[in-house]
Amino acid sequence: MLKLSLPLRLQLSLVIVVGAALLKYHAWYCLGVYAAIALLWAWLLHVSIRHLGGLLGTELIFLSLLALPLGWERASFLLLRSLVCLVTMNSFLLTLPPHSFGIALKGLPVPAPLKENLLLAGQYMEILLSEVTRMQRSAQLRGLHGTAGWLRYASAAMIGALYLRSLDRAERVYGAMVARGYNGQLPIDSPLRPKERFAVLLACAIAATVTLTSYKI
Amino acid sequence: MHIPDGFVSVPVAGATGLASVAALFIAFERSQEAFGIRRAPILGLTTAFIFAAQMINFPVAGGTSGHLLGGTLAAIVLGSPWAGTLCIATVLIIQAVLFADGGITALGANIFNMAVVGVWVGWILTQTLQRLLGGFKGRLPLAAGIAAGVSVVVAAIACAIELALSGTAPVAIVLPAMTGVHILIGIGEGIITGGVLTYLATARPDLLPGEQQEFRGWSVPIVTIFLIAGVLSLFASAWPDGLEKVAEKTGFIDLAAKVRVIVPTPLADYSIKGLGPIGTSIAGLMGATVCFAVAFGIAKVVKPKNA
Repeated sequence: MLKLSLPLRLQLSLVIVVGAALLKYHAWYCLGVYAAIALLWAWLLHVSIRHLGGLLGTELIFLSLLALPLGWERASFLLLRSLVCLVTMNSFLLTLPPHSFGIALKGLPVPAPLKENLLLAGQYMEILLSEVTRMQRSAQLRGLHGTAGWLRYASAAMIGALYLRSLDRAERVYGAMVARGYNGQLPIDSPLRPKERFAVLLACAIAATVTLTSYKI
Repeated sequence: MHIPDGFVSVPVAGATGLASVAALFIAFERSQEAFGIRRAPILGLTTAFIFAAQMINFPVAGGTSGHLLGGTLAAIVLGSPWAGTLCIATVLIIQAVLFADGGITALGANIFNMAVVGVWVGWILTQTLQRLLGGFKGRLPLAAGIAAGVSVVVAAIACAIELALSGTAPVAIVLPAMTGVHILIGIGEGIITGGVLTYLATARPDLLPGEQQEFRGWSVPIVTIFLIAGVLSLFASAWPDGLEKVAEKTGFIDLAAKVRVIVPTPLADYSIKGLGPIGTSIAGLMGATVCFAVAFGIAKVVKPKNA
């Protein structure tokens, strides 16, 4: 896999996606350029083709339902443009190392309060998933079965119980974080190095050129 | 309802992006207390919870499926629509950036539809319906359930309008399609929201808002009128009324066609051409708005001097 820091990978992915999404309708040549870039990106990141295909298939079924009534030519451009964006973002997602949610989110250019909430949500996602696993195991051990009505009631109650159990753990985790000096920022600092900044600027320039060209052709 | 990349035009993406940025800016200002030691875990966990809930799709008729939007639920649990807006916006950012669910360039539109329209419609309707149902705290799950269902449909209408304005799909196709499916999804949303709040009210009542906020007296009748005109009109019978039935039976219904002066009526038969039942709903909302505006104007003009 290409040795790139997570913030750089995220920002390059965003540049490709924004550039492709803003292309003018029926700018097929420019779309072809972006498609080539997206495929190159997927290859550089060593994405698992099977996983990528699975994700794209599900997304494209939904998009097809939305786009096909618009006529073949319009729908095909819309779908291909969306496909380029999906390949790019899913390539980033599928090569995201485990537990690096926070690092990836920290690289986003968003205001501090939103970033704090993003980081906390990322932290609590794992708590939530572990609680779900524990509750599922408990349900299996107790042999949860019965009429459909009872199961629906039990499921609704379990959703509420999941929220409360996770909240208790989240409050404990947050207390521990504050006790260890947490002040709304994760102690991970990964600013872009000069070379990486240059790479992002170059990518922006290329994307801007290709996208603006689509409006001139 | 997550609009993917490339489905909204640049002007629509820009306009909704600006609206969303403005809403988020106000939300930061208004929900400072949500970032304190006591509230931060609730906001963070509610965000994670809504994110997880949105991953679980429930089947909807016709081979489609839907998932919880959670705007109303978040606003009520957090006790503030501003914090609810932040929560849903965060979920949408995570989904767009890390899971390619909803486009980066459509993020403004998605935040506007789900984090602004969805949350605020749900919140205002919940407050109003609770008052209509007697104002008891025990009625909160029912009020929130209904409000959550309606908020999903309103958010879907906003989404359809954006797609139509972008030139992605004609309004006659996208509006009925989006609204029809989201009425069913709204029912699921309402049931889940009501169910979760019922459980929370029993297990941790301290999490739910206590005293209801004071509302000005005119909001209840206005919201009621709009609910009847906009939502219940969808279920109106298409059968002819009494006079039409008699006219059909006795054969004088064709006389209407012989009228010499034809006055153009844009919303004839309470419908908009090509929109089906959604047209009836929009016509009802427009009619209610015009009636309110005219009555308000007359009241202003003929107001007694000593009033």
